[in-house]
Amino acid sequence: MNRKDVVEQLSVAELVQFGPLGQAKVFAGEELDRQVSGVVLVAELEEIRQCEPHSAVVLHGAAAQGAWSLESALRLAWERNASCVIAPADIAVGNPTAQLAERLRVPLFVVADPARHALELSAAVADTDAARARLTARCAVLFGERGTLRDIVGVINIEVPGVQVALIAEDGHVLAGRAAADHAEGKRRVEVHVPGPDGRPWARLVGQLAAWSPSWALTVRTVLGLARAPLAACVGRAWLRPVRQAASDRVLLDLLLGEDGDDEGARAAGWSVDGNHVAVFLQVREAGDADQEAMAPRVLAAWQEAFPHLPLIPRGEGWVSWWTGAESPDAVAGLLRPYLQATRPVQLAAGVGLPGEGVAGLRRSVDEARLAAAVAGRRDGETVELFGALGPRAVLACIPVPDVAAAARVALADLLAAPDADVLLTALVALLDCAGSTGQAAARLGVHRNTVLSRIERIRARGVDLDSPEQRLALHLACYSLLSAT
Amino acid sequence: MITEITVEDLPALETGSQLTCSSAGSTHFDGTLANIAELLRERGPVRMVGLDELDGDALCVAIGAIGGFGPMLELPPSGDEAVSAVRALEARLGKRVDAIVSLNASGPNAFAPVAAAAALGLPLVDCDGMGRVLPLMSQTTYALAGLPIGPLAAASLAGDVMVLDTSTARSELLLRSAMQAAGGFMLCASYPSIVDQLAKCAIRGSTSRVVEAGRLLRGAPDRGTLLAGLASIAGARVLGGGRVVELGHATRTVGARQYPAVPTSVVVREPGPDGRMIRLEGQSEIFLAVADGVVSAAVPDVLCLLDQREPHIVGLERVAVGNDVDVLVMPADPMWHSRAGLALAGPRAFGFPVEHPREVVS
Repeated sequence: MNRKDVVEQLSVAELVQFGPLGQAKVFAGEELDRQVSGVVLVAELEEIRQCEPHSAVVLHGAAAQGAWSLESALRLAWERNASCVIAPADIAVGNPTAQLAERLRVPLFVVADPARHALELSAAVADTDAARARLTARCAVLFGERGTLRDIVGVINIEVPGVQVALIAEDGHVLAGRAAADHAEGKRRVEVHVPGPDGRPWARLVGQLAAWSPSWALTVRTVLGLARAPLAACVGRAWLRPVRQAASDRVLLDLLLGEDGDDEGARAAGWSVDGNHVAVFLQVREAGDADQEAMAPRVLAAWQEAFPHLPLIPRGEGWVSWWTGAESPDAVAGLLRPYLQATRPVQLAAGVGLPGEGVAGLRRSVDEARLAAAVAGRRDGETVELFGALGPRAVLACIPVPDVAAAARVALADLLAAPDADVLLTALVALLDCAGSTGQAAARLGVHRNTVLSRIERIRARGVDLDSPEQRLALHLACYSLLSAT
Repeated sequence: MITEITVEDLPALETGSQLTCSSAGSTHFDGTLANIAELLRERGPVRMVGLDELDGDALCVAIGAIGGFGPMLELPPSGDEAVSAVRALEARLGKRVDAIVSLNASGPNAFAPVAAAAALGLPLVDCDGMGRVLPLMSQTTYALAGLPIGPLAAASLAGDVMVLDTSTARSELLLRSAMQAAGGFMLCASYPSIVDQLAKCAIRGSTSRVVEAGRLLRGAPDRGTLLAGLASIAGARVLGGGRVVELGHATRTVGARQYPAVPTSVVVREPGPDGRMIRLEGQSEIFLAVADGVVSAAVPDVLCLLDQREPHIVGLERVAVGNDVDVLVMPADPMWHSRAGLALAGPRAFGFPVEHPREVVS
C-alpha cells in the first residue's frame, strides 16, 4: 500500500480537493500541505506506532472508541509524523480534541465510513496521475464557465490545493489573485506568460507552490497554461468593447461636424448637441500611426474611468470630446490634467477650444482645440494648451516645421555658416519679434543695445536684408522653423 | 498502626474513605455513620489487629456492601445486616468466624466492616482486598491469589438473607440480580478464608491508611502540607491540575459493557498557553488519564480529583465545569501491577485497549 516514491506523492489538500476527503469534516485544517505516502487502516491504537512517516491514519474498531482514543491516536500519529488522522463520525469531536489536533498540527478528518475511505484513499494515493488529470480537467471546465480575470484566477486559487496564484501586468501591477504569489522563489515558483489579444506580452501568471515535486510543478504549470487563452479572450473582450464603440462614434461625429450638421445620430447616441460647448482634442505626443492604434484601448479605458458621462471619439490623428454647460476652458484644462497623468506611459497632449454655441459652435471649438493640441504636442510632458490663450499663434502649429527649416537652411546658408550662427539667429528672431526695435530686442536678450547693433551689422554682412518688407515674413518663418526644429 | 476504632475516629474514617474511591463519590453517609456511632457507644471501640497477631487457622470473612449509594442514603444500614449475613455463613460453613476483614476499605465499604466487627464483637483485621474501589466483587487480590469468593452470605436492608455457593464468576452475576431485586443494596460476607491464606494476598494496613488520610484531609493547614502528607501516606503524586472544561457521557462509542455504570469523561485544562489537556475517562470511577493524547495513568492505580481551594475530594457526581482541581495518582498495591493483576483490573479489563503505563515502561 505504501509507495516509497516520495517525489510523486499527493498532498492532504489534494485528497481533500479532488479526492475522497472532499466531504469530510475537518479539524486543524491549516496543515494540509503535507504529502501522503500511504494509507494505514488501524484497528488497535498500538498499530500506529508501526506507521511509516507521512501516512494517512484511518481509525476504526477498537482504535476509535471515543474522544480519549482519538486523542491518543492524534498523539501517536504526531509522534510518527503522520500526515493526517481520519476518524469515524460516531465519535463526537469536542473542543478539547479539536484543540489538541491544532496544537499537534495534525489534520483530523471525520467521515461516516472509515473503511470505505481507506480504500478510496489508497486508490487515490496509488494513482497520483489519475487524480491530477481529474484536477486539470476540472479546472479546464471551470475556466470555460468564467468570464472575468478575477474569476479565472480565482478558479486556480480555489481548486488547486496548496497553490497561490496572481496575474501580474508587465509593469508589476497585480491584476487579479493573491499578491503574495509573486514572492515565491526557486522551485516553488511557477510562471507562465500571458499574451494580450494582440499577441504581445501583456501579463504573467505566477504561482507559489506550498509543496514541490517535479510532477506537481508540471501539473500546476499545465493548469496555468490552460488559463492563458481564457485570460487573453477575457481581456480582449474588455479592450474590444470601447474600440468598437469608438469606431461607430467616429462616423457619428463626422456627420455631426460635417457641412450638413446631421445631429440626428448624435442625439440618439445621447450626446449633448445643444448649449454652450467647450471642445477638447487629445493627441499622442510623437507617435506613429501603429502606436496610436495600439494605445487607443488604454486611452479610451482611462477616459471612461475619468469621465464616464462623456464620449471620447477618434478624429484624425487624435480624439475629441466636449463639455457642455458652464465650464470655462480653464476649468476644463484643470479637469484634464489628472487624466493625462493617468494614461502614462502613453503621453498625451491636449488642446481646449473656446466656448461655442450649438453644432456650429462645437465645430469651431473642435477645430480650435485641435490647433491648440498641435501646439501642446510640441512641448515636453503632458501639456494642455488653451486656444484662447494662444490666439493666432495657433496657426503656427500648422506649419510643416521640418520642411520649412530644410528650405531655410538653403536660403540662409551664409548666415548659418557663421561661427556664431546660433547667437546671430537668436538676435535676428528677437529683432523681428520686436518689430525692429533694437531697445526691446536688447532687453529681451538681456544684452546692451550696442551689442544688438553690432550683431545686426554682422547679420547684414552675411547678406540678410532686414529692411525689405517683401522678405520679412519669409525671413521670420524661416528663423522660427530653424529654432523650432533644433 | 491504629489499634482501635472509636466513635471519634468515624469522621476521619469517612473523609479518608473518599481518597481511594477514584472519585467514585464524595457523598456523606450521615445516617449510616450515626448508626455505627451508636453501635460503638454501646459496644465500645472496635479492636483492630494485624494479620500476624492472629492464629494461622483463624477463620476470617470479608465484609463489604454491593449496590448504589442511593439506597444507603434512603434507608441507612442498622448494623444488624452483618450479623445476619455472618451467622448465615457460619451455619453454612459449620464454623464460627474469628475475625472480620474488609472487602475494600474505600468509600462506605471502609466503615461497613467496622460496624460488623462492633455488632459481632469480633476484631477487625487491618487489611483489604482491593486497596481502592473496583466495580466487581471478584476484582480482589483475594481472587487474584485463588481464594474462592464463596460460599458467601448476603443480607438486604429489608432483612432478606441468602447464601450463595457457586463459582466466583457466577456469584457476581447471581448476587447482582438478587441485589437489584432486594432494593439495590446488600451487605455481603464473602471470601471465607483462614489467616494463613490471607497473609499471602491481603493488602495490609488499609483501614489505618484511610483513617490517617482522613485526619490529614480534615486537618491540613494548606495545600502543600496536604499533598506532602498524601504522598507520604499513599504515595500520591499530582499528575496535573487546572480547570474542568468539559464533562460528558457520550464520549465513548464502544467498550466494556459488563460494568454497572455509564461512561463518563472529564477534561481538565492546565493553565497557560502550553498547558496540557488532561482527559479523565471513567464510569463510576476514573479509570484512565490521557494527557495531550498520552496515557499517563490508568486503573488499577487510583486517580482522583482534589479541589485546589478546599482540601476535599471532588467526586464524579459533583464535578462541574469551572472547578479548579488537582489530578492525583496513587499507585496500586504491587500485586495489582503483576500481569495477572493487570488482566483482572488493568485498563483492558475496563475496555480500554491500551497498555498500562507500567507495561509500556517495562
